[in-house]
Amino acid sequence: MTLPAAPSGETKIEIEEITVAEFYEKISQENDLLLLDVRSQDDFESWRIESRYTPETMHIPYQIFAEDGPDALEELPDLMAIPDDREIVAVCAKGGASDFVAAILRDEGKTAVNLIDGMIAWGNYYVVRPIVENGSYQIYQVDRVARGCLSHVLVSQGQAAIIDPLRHVAHYKELLESVGAQLSLLLDTHAHADHISGAIALAEATGVPYYLHPYDAIHPFDMLPAVIDYEMLHDGQRFRLGDLTIQVLHTPGHTLGQVNYLATDQTGQSYAFTGDNIFLQSFGRPDLGGQGEAWAPIVYDTIFHKFKDNVPDNTWILPGHYAAFEEANGEGVYTKRLADLWRENIGLQFEHQDHFITYVLTHLPQMPEQYVEIKRVNIGLTQPDERMASELELGKNVCALSDAYET
Amino acid sequence: MAKTEFIPDETLDCSGLNCPIPILKTAEAIKKIEVGQILQVISTDPGTLLDMEAWSLQTGHDIVYSRQREASNIFYIRRTI
Repeated sequence: MTLPAAPSGETKIEIEEITVAEFYEKISQENDLLLLDVRSQDDFESWRIESRYTPETMHIPYQIFAEDGPDALEELPDLMAIPDDREIVAVCAKGGASDFVAAILRDEGKTAVNLIDGMIAWGNYYVVRPIVENGSYQIYQVDRVARGCLSHVLVSQGQAAIIDPLRHVAHYKELLESVGAQLSLLLDTHAHADHISGAIALAEATGVPYYLHPYDAIHPFDMLPAVIDYEMLHDGQRFRLGDLTIQVLHTPGHTLGQVNYLATDQTGQSYAFTGDNIFLQSFGRPDLGGQGEAWAPIVYDTIFHKFKDNVPDNTWILPGHYAAFEEANGEGVYTKRLADLWRENIGLQFEHQDHFITYVLTHLPQMPEQYVEIKRVNIGLTQPDERMASELELGKNVCALSDAYET
Repeated sequence: MAKTEFIPDETLDCSGLNCPIPILKTAEAIKKIEVGQILQVISTDPGTLLDMEAWSLQTGHDIVYSRQREASNIFYIRRTI
C-alpha cells in the first residue's frame, strides 16, 4: 500500500475531539491530562468525572467565554499557565459548550480536545471485564463507571443470564452477540432505588422471563403493586444455566425482597452475586424503604445467619456497587473472596446485634429524593422518557453506609 | 396591586438550537439593546434554563421574568450595564 504524499507546507493535524472510550482509557492509568469542566457550578458540584486516576480538574463555566470570547483568558491565569503541549479535555453536559471552549483554546495555541457528548456519554459508558473464562462457563462484570453500578453476565453452554442489568441494554446485547450466547434468564437481586433496571426492557424485547422477589414488587412508600410481568423468586429456588447452578438466597434488609444469587460450577467453586446486600468494604443501607430502624435488625440477621451459614468462605463476592475505585483488583474487577471480607468489610466486624444497629443508624447518608421515583419506575408504576430517566439517574449511587464514602 | 408587565424591546428566537448557541446569541443580542431595555429569548434546549441563570449571575444582566410554555423556555432579560 502506498501512502499519499505528505501535503506540502506546514500542516498540523489537530485532534479536536475524543470519544468517551478513548477518554476512559486515558484516565484508567496515570495521566497528565487537565480536565476542564465548563458546566455550571451546581452541576459540577453535584456530579463530576472521577476515576482511579482522576485527572487534575479545573472548573470554569463556559458563560465567561460566551461573554468575552478569547479575551476571557486574560482573566484566567491558571488556565493560561497550562503548557501548550499538555492535553486539555473539555467537558460539559452534552458536548456543545465544551466544543466551543476547546476551539477557543486551540486558537490560543493550547492542546485542547472536546469530550464528545460530554456527561451524557460519561454517564452511559459501560466497561465489560471478564472475571472468569474457561471451557465450561464465562462470567463478565459490566461496570457503569460514572455511577459505580455493577451488573454481571453469566454464560455457559450458549445460554446466558444477566444479573441486575442496567438501563442501557444495548451493551448486553452486544456482549451476548460477541460471545455467541442466547439470553435465557433475567435476574434482579432487588428492586433498585438508585438506578433504572434494564430488565423490563430486555424482557419485553426478548420474551425471556424476568425474576424478582415478590416482596420487592410492592412499592415501599406507595404500597402499590408492580404492574410489570415478572416471575416470583423464592428462597432456595435453583436455576440451571449450562454447567452452572444458580441458587436463590433470600437475604432481606436493604429491601425486603433482596436476594443473593449463589452460582456454583461443577468443581464446587462458587460466586455470590450480592446486589446491595454485601459490598466489598461496606453493606447495603436499610432505610431506602423508609423503615431504617425496623429493617436494620433484619440486615444483621441476614449477614450473620443467612449469609454466613450458606455462602462458603472461598466464594468470590460480586456486588452491585462499589464506593471507591481502589476496591478493584489488578484487572479492574470488583471482587474478593468472602474470607477476606470477614476480615476487611466494616459490616462484618460486629459481634453484637446492638452495636451493629447503632452503627448502621448513625451512618446513614441522606437519601436522594429521586430514589422513591426510581423504585416506581422499576416496578412499572411510572414510565419516564429518556430525558426524565437520565435526570433520575444523575450522580453517583448512595446505596452503602456512609463510611464507604469517607475513605 | 398593579401587575407588572414586561414588554420586550427585542426578541431572540433560539428554537431548535442547542447549547451553547442560545447563550452565545443572548450574549451578542444583549449588547445591541440599550441599558434598561428588555430582551426576550426563546429556547427549546432544556439546558438553557440553568445556563441562563448562570450567565445572568456572571454578567449581572437581570432575568426579570421567565416561564415555560410547552417545550420552550422564555426569558425576559433586562440589560443592566
